[in-house]
Amino acid sequence: MLPDDVTGRGFNMVSLTRFASRGLLAAALSGLLAHGAAAQEITFKDQENREVKLAKAAERIVSIVIPMASTVIALDGGTKKLVGMNPTAKSAVLEGILSKIFPETKDIPSDVTAPNFVPNIEALTATNPDLVIQWGGRGNDIVAPITNAGLNAMLILYGTEQLTRDYMTMTSKAIGKPERIKELVDWRDRVQKDIEAKAKAIPDDKKPSTLYIARALSEIATTGTKGSYNAWYMELVGGRNASAELNGTVTINKEQIAQWDPEIIFLNAFEAKLDVNWVYNDPILSLTKAAKNKRVYKMPLGGYRWDPPNQESPLAWMWTANLTQPDVFKYDLRAEMKTAYKTLYNYDITDADIDGILWMKEQGGSANYVQFKAK
Amino acid sequence: MAALAQDEAAPMVRRAHLARQTLVFSGLLTLFAVAFVVSLCVGRFAVPPARALELIWLGATDPWRELATIDERIVLLVRAPRVVLAALAGAGLALSGAALQGVFRNPLVSPDILGISQGAAFGGALGIMLGIWGFPLISMVFLSGMAAVVLVGLISRINGRSETITVILSGLVVSSMFSAVVSLLQFVADPNTSLPAIVYWLMGSFATATWERTLIAAPGLIIGGAFLWMLRFRLNILSLDEAEAQSLGAKTNRERWMVFGLIAVIVGSQVAVSGIIGWIGIVIPHASRLLVGHDHRALLPASVVLGAGFMVIIDTLARTATAAEIPLGVITALVGAPIFAMLLRNHYRERNGS
Repeated sequence: MLPDDVTGRGFNMVSLTRFASRGLLAAALSGLLAHGAAAQEITFKDQENREVKLAKAAERIVSIVIPMASTVIALDGGTKKLVGMNPTAKSAVLEGILSKIFPETKDIPSDVTAPNFVPNIEALTATNPDLVIQWGGRGNDIVAPITNAGLNAMLILYGTEQLTRDYMTMTSKAIGKPERIKELVDWRDRVQKDIEAKAKAIPDDKKPSTLYIARALSEIATTGTKGSYNAWYMELVGGRNASAELNGTVTINKEQIAQWDPEIIFLNAFEAKLDVNWVYNDPILSLTKAAKNKRVYKMPLGGYRWDPPNQESPLAWMWTANLTQPDVFKYDLRAEMKTAYKTLYNYDITDADIDGILWMKEQGGSANYVQFKAK
Repeated sequence: MAALAQDEAAPMVRRAHLARQTLVFSGLLTLFAVAFVVSLCVGRFAVPPARALELIWLGATDPWRELATIDERIVLLVRAPRVVLAALAGAGLALSGAALQGVFRNPLVSPDILGISQGAAFGGALGIMLGIWGFPLISMVFLSGMAAVVLVGLISRINGRSETITVILSGLVVSSMFSAVVSLLQFVADPNTSLPAIVYWLMGSFATATWERTLIAAPGLIIGGAFLWMLRFRLNILSLDEAEAQSLGAKTNRERWMVFGLIAVIVGSQVAVSGIIGWIGIVIPHASRLLVGHDHRALLPASVVLGAGFMVIIDTLARTATAAEIPLGVITALVGAPIFAMLLRNHYRERNGS
């Protein structure tokens, strides 16, 4: 009880100074809330094994981690609880479908952190968050300012599907909706198991080499297999990571791509100006098997970019699966997207929305892409 | 100075000196030619050396041929422009370093001292952040490099003339100002796209070389270099004591700025297409000085050939050692710093010994 009382008073102090005019009311209200919520205190261990203690379900969340901003919206089924996000997350929201589903997202502040995850403590404190989601495993310098300001930090780790499910579960618990996560994790599990079962029968010599290009426009970067989520799902769906010999995300040259001669190329969704013509117009890349067979695809941008782990990952796997092993996987992606967007955002996605997300206009002519056309 | 003294010496000594210079230059040229051809034959994509040589021959004799197969394109569209660009950039940087060390009468200066690199880095980082690629980015980098030199000129010009010390200090000021802005840009850059691009670009690389980029950079590098070569006698005079130089009729202030301007064109062109590459401009002139002496008539061409060869070798390492491209800045420093330390020790040991 005592520590909660202390945080409660601290909170009142902040309220009093920040809202001097309505200080009394705010103090009375938050005192009431703190008292009423004491029974539902939430404690859990985050992925850096720190204890996170919330007096009540978090109502105001800031995500410094980029993909988690849209995940918080999906977990809550709305934008009410997200009070701050990374500028790079905001650009995904503005470029993508979320700004259409939830127009109010464009007013959520993104000045709480620099894109490189260094928080701006004053701006962060001004949003008055009761939970701040931050990356773990990147040193204490980006965490200490948050905790020193008396804010609650929850640290999460990047890389695997398991970690993703764990931190999504943790977040849904923190926002007081533990029941919500089950259907999302069940969905991930169901799709993953289904893909695994079907992919098991694929012999190794039928697995095409696939290359994910993480950056293309300034220099070309791609990623090794270890610790890469992209490589993980490319192999899950029956592909072979062409750049498996690399370690982490590193810069390579076109000659190296020619040497690997990948059968499929996936381009990142991060670079807005990048499309498949980057490959087709290049004298070297246009001679790869992928380009000759028109198997070059840019990753879709839905509620978030489909490349990294996020709330829509199963859709990304199904999309990748249908394109990597068209004879094995025949998911009805449009139908899956309709169901998923209803579940995730309570939104009835239109055919035009789907066309935009899948870049039908830009890459509708690619091999095996006709299956995604509206019927 | 040494050369001037030798000019008055007996013809025997002069002949020996000439023989030595010829030997050194033919050695350097052979080294460069070998490095150039070998680097066209090696790379991550397996092309048999015999086939690569055949392709180089075909490319040299019939440059407008349609290139259909992948090995032709690799050798002639990926490796060739890259090796040519690396050679030109290495030559330009080494030449600028040699000229600048003469003008400043200081062996420690490098082309970075005029603030060009940091100014250009600012243009590059800003361009990448704004999502500008290709030719507009290159021009932006070049212009901001020029702007930095102009700024150095304005700051250091006091009562109508600029002392070398004020030029060096102004260069320092302008450099640190621009590098602060570059840091700021890195701070606000998108960690998924522009930040790694900026960081990689700041470490220097020829990975993006194409004939187009090579042809964009070539005029600046070649014309700047040619003009510096024409100034070789002037450089000999400028490297003398200020009063001595003026007594020989040199308009030191004006001529110095002519040299700075040419160097700005060379370094600006190089940074625009391949990012910041350190160490070449300081290590190569020193090595060349040990080989051919202080006379700029010999020092400049020696720096050009050695700089070109060294850069080609470094870049070949960068693109072939691993599947990942190693940033040039890393290799030039790792290779350049120990060589420099060795040269330094040898130089002062000899000097103290004699």
